[in-house]
This record gives sequence, structure tokens and C-alpha cells, in this order.
Amino acid sequence: MDVTSKTSEVPEEPAAAAVTEKVWKAGRLEPMPIRKLPDAPPSMHILGPTVFLVALGVGMGESYMWPRLVLVFGPDIRWLFMVGVTLQAFVLLEMARYAMATGESIFFGAARVFKPLMWFFYAAAILIYMWPGHLSAGAAAFEEITGIPWQVTACVALVFVGVLFSLLSVIYNFLEKLLGLLIGVLVVGTSVIAAIVGNWDDLGRTLSGMFAFGYFPHEAMTSTWFPVVVGSIAFAGPSGMQQMWYTLQLRDSGAGMGAHIPNIRGLRTEGEAETMPSRGFMFDTEDPAEMAKWKGWRKWVTFDAILLFWGITMLVTISFTVLAMSAARQNPNVASLIEGGDRDAALKAMSDAFASAGSPILGTLFFAFIALIGLNATLGLFDSFSRGQADMTYYFVPGAKRFSMSRLYAGFLWGVILFGILILLFGPADGPAGILDTLAFLSTFAMGAYCIVLLLTNNMLLPKKIRPGPVRNVIIGFGAVFYLGMLFYCLFRFGVAVG
Amino acid sequence: MADPKQLAEFSVPAISVGAAAGLIAGGLGAFVGQPVGWAVLTGLGLGVPLMLFGAGYAVLVALRKVPAGVFAPAAVYWVIGFPLALMVHAVVTEWVVAGTPGLPPEPWKFLAFRALLSMGFAIGFLWMHEQLGRHWWPRILDRNEYARRTVEQYVHLAASLEARKAATGRARKKRVA
Repeated sequence: MDVTSKTSEVPEEPAAAAVTEKVWKAGRLEPMPIRKLPDAPPSMHILGPTVFLVALGVGMGESYMWPRLVLVFGPDIRWLFMVGVTLQAFVLLEMARYAMATGESIFFGAARVFKPLMWFFYAAAILIYMWPGHLSAGAAAFEEITGIPWQVTACVALVFVGVLFSLLSVIYNFLEKLLGLLIGVLVVGTSVIAAIVGNWDDLGRTLSGMFAFGYFPHEAMTSTWFPVVVGSIAFAGPSGMQQMWYTLQLRDSGAGMGAHIPNIRGLRTEGEAETMPSRGFMFDTEDPAEMAKWKGWRKWVTFDAILLFWGITMLVTISFTVLAMSAARQNPNVASLIEGGDRDAALKAMSDAFASAGSPILGTLFFAFIALIGLNATLGLFDSFSRGQADMTYYFVPGAKRFSMSRLYAGFLWGVILFGILILLFGPADGPAGILDTLAFLSTFAMGAYCIVLLLTNNMLLPKKIRPGPVRNVIIGFGAVFYLGMLFYCLFRFGVAVG
Repeated sequence: MADPKQLAEFSVPAISVGAAAGLIAGGLGAFVGQPVGWAVLTGLGLGVPLMLFGAGYAVLVALRKVPAGVFAPAAVYWVIGFPLALMVHAVVTEWVVAGTPGLPPEPWKFLAFRALLSMGFAIGFLWMHEQLGRHWWPRILDRNEYARRTVEQYVHLAASLEARKAATGRARKKRVA
């Protein structure tokens, strides 16, 4: 018996619903039939689809890029991280608003507003995420522990993920549990290591730096560092299109109106999948009972956004910053390596510093956690990318409905895996760090673009009663200006994309 | 009257989280060529106190002194337990290295720093506790009163899941028909 935490009940619909159906017209595509909103689960449980965002979001930004900036500019630079992650928490809440109210992905919402918007994201996702760069950091850390070349680990991991996801019956449930456990280990382990090697002064300075609003040293405005600062802000929390994929995970977890949409299944049991409806659904916002349930869902997702997403992202980055400061104190050579920007050398030096200060275990553990972060990101990215592309292909590529959503998912999954293996074996394999950096420009651009899409979908497509208030709109609008403004300033002032 | 045997059985998931933390502190020692005795002692120095504190939390849940799966009580519990466990670890490490047990320098600062980090540990602990518990407690609920009571707290939600799947399936079939 599995006591699953995030659940709620979908009321049975009257059989005559299909005949005299009430609908909600949203944009240019097919109207959404009105259905009952399920009851929201109590927010006492700490598992849910946000685990995907945490798995994807806690990556190189938290474990390397921000510790690096702290060593270069001091802890006060962390206020920018605070702004970045807080902004992402609001984006999460607004993404959830659309997904829970309609059971549709944000990509579908973008298509309802203006189809080319959706096609932009379709193309951008392929360009950004077909590269196996995200595998490199974790695999390189694994190489440090075991001596197995990182390309071998990366290729084996690619095939393993493909086989695993093809054999599963319902992919979402398995991944939620696996990522939940891995992140649990990561959070417990990071706290323990930071508690062993860090000290009060490191933590105090890291925390106070989060509130040093407005601090921006002159050197940060140079062509060397400004692109790095912009890139780091974009990598604070989930970057690129990860927030958009979160709407698919919400749908598959059955949050809000997502309960009316069937799950994606692995290839092995794909024949058992239920028919995918051609659009999402809406609930009756004029019914006070339905609005009460909606408030319950908003409370549920707000709990996820604050404790899980914001809390864990902050915790991991604070811990890693404390680790970097402690390593630099023990060995000044670490500071110059980290500042120099060679990520692999810097991580190795940090590991050595912990090994010499505490015990060899700590050095190994440090790499084990970098590898774990890489594994989380890899599992999450492959699933999310395939889910997002399958969703857009199924609904908007003519003739694609001949295939089931599960088959399209498998097609994209194996496509990106085979391409990844080819690149790793024959592509520009100029060391792990080389591949990761090429994603940065499009990734940041997509973030500014999805803020605009969110403003459009939530204010144009949703019934008035569940639209965001002015404060939320201003914050998301600020997000668009923040990401796009920094990106283009960087491009025109220094002639380079983000670093 | 509390039954110690049942309480111990109920506490297995919480103790496992403490053991995992102990493994993190010491279990990889042999792997990197460290003397086995050193690695084991370091692991036990942290693992045992965390296992004991973990069991203490589970007992509070079993006796309904704190609700299962809620963050705030767990955070309050670990703000005390986590720094103390690390203090024990520091004393044991000092013992192994220097030959005599000793407190770390500036013990209050030492405790305060770990107390701040404890919030993160509390999130991870609660998360893993629930992950492991939801597989363990249903297995023992026939013979364990505490497991049965805790599972009952979740049963409403589990039943809802089944009902939701059934209702969604029925509704879809009707629409297709």
C-alpha cells in the first residue's frame, strides 16, 4: 500500500454533460468545457510536483556560480540571488495558476494567445536542451571519485535513463518518488557537511549579504564580470524553460483541473493509456463552493513554493557558499582557481581543501553531492524536455494525434538520448565546462519571454475571478524587464551574451 | 501505556535517516583509503546521536505529541537536536584525533551555527521520514498500534486518490460514449 500524499477527489460528472455543455472561451482555440474542480489536499505534506523544480533548479548556479561570485565580490552580492529566487517563486505561483485552473500546459496557453509564441518555445527547447551539457558536471565529479572517464558515465547514464523511462508504467509517480528521495539525501547531506566544515562567521556573512540590497561593485560592471553576474542571476533557481515544464508536472500529478487529464505512460504499458482530451477544462468560477476549493489549491501550491522551492534552493546555495568560503580560508589557492573560472579545477580544489581540513571523506563527499546534483538534473531534464515537446507536438503538429502522447514522449526521449551520445562521442567534446555555457543566451531569453506569456495567459484567458492581482502582475512584469533588460544590456554594452 | 517494542518498530524510518547521515559522515572512509576504525568512529559519532534524536521525534509522532508530516514542530525539534548531535560528533572526533575528548572552541558559537543550519536538516529529515514511512508503516500496521494510527491519518488521502482515479476514468468513458 502506498500512501500517496497529494491527492484529492474528482466528483463524478453527470452523464448528460456532453449534450448541454457549458464552456469557457479562451483565446482562439477550442473552448474549455466546464467541469468540477477536485478538492484540494491539505498542505501538511511535503511531497509534490515542486520536487521536479527543486531537482532541476538546484544545480550549478547554487553549487558553483554563486559561491564563485561570493568569493570574488564578497557575500553582499548575494542580494541579487535573493531577488532572482524570490522572482522565480512568484513565477512558479503564476505558472501554477494557469495549469491548475485549466489542466493545460503553459505552452498550450501560449498557443491560445498567439501560436507563433508556442512555436518559439518549441524551437528554443530543442536548441537549448538537445546538448548533453547538463550531464557533464555530474559525470566529471563521478570521474573524480571513481576514475571512470566522464564520457563513459554520461553515455551509460543516457541509455539507462532511456530504458528506465520506457519500462515504467506511469512515469510521473516513479520520478516523484525517486527525486524526492534523492533530494532528501542531498538536503540532509549538505546540511551535515556544511555543519561540519563551516563556521558561524561564514554563515553570518552569507546571510547578511542576502539583504545588502543595491550593492553592486564597480568591477561587476566590467565586460569580464557583468555577463557572469547576469548568467548567475538567470541560473538562480530553475533556469531556461524549467518553470514552463513545471505546468506539465502539475497536470500529471492531478493538481487542480489536471485531474481530468490522463497520465503519460512508459512504452511498455502505453496501450493501457486513456484517451487524451483535445484541450483542458475550466471550473465554474461563479459557484462559491468551487471558488472555495480553488482557494484550497492556491494555498497548497503556495506552501510548495515557499517551503520546498524557496526554502530548499536557499538552503543548498547557502550551504555551498559556506563550503566555498571555508575552502578558500583553508587554502588561498582555491579562491584564485574559483575566481579564474575553470569550474572543474575549482571544484577539485574545493574538494581537496575539505579533504585536508576535515578528512578525505569530506572531499569525496563533496564530489558525491556534485554528482548527485547532476543526476537529479539529468533525470528531471530528460523527462521534462520530452514531456514538453510531446505535449506541443501532440496538440499542434498536424497528424501527430495518430501517435499517442506516450509514444511521442518516447520518441523525443530517445531522440535526445541518441543525439546526446553522438555529441559526447564525436561532437565538440572540449571538456565538460565547454558545452554548458552555450545554453546561456537562449535560456535567459526564454525566461524573459515566459514572463510576458504569463501576463498574457493569466490576464486574457482566465475568468476574472481567478486572474492575478495588480501586485502579482507588476512582479511578473518586473521579471520580464529584469531578464530581458539585463540580457540585452549585456549584449549591446559588452557585445557578449551572458556568461 | 506506551509499548516500547512497538515504538521502536514504529521509529525505524526515523532511525534510518539518522543512520544515513552517519553513513554520509563516515561510510565513505574505507573507499578513500582512510583507516577503517577512524571512519567507523566518525560515522558513529554523528550517526548514533542523530538516530537517537530521530527515534525521539518518531516517538513524539507515535504518541501524538506532534502531528505527522508537519514542518514547524520538526523544525523546533531539530533546532535543538541537530546542534547537540554535531557537538557529540565534534567531541568524538577530538577524542579520536587527540586521544582525549574535548569541546570545540567557542562552544556557543558552534551550537548557534548548527542551529541555523538545522532548518535545512529538518526539511530533509521530514521529507525522507515520510518517504520511508509511507512504505514501512503500512507493512507493520496489523501488529503496531502507532503505525495503524499514523496510517489512518493518511488513509483519507489514499482513499481520495483511488476515488479520483475511478471518477476520472468513469467520466472519460461516458464522454467517449
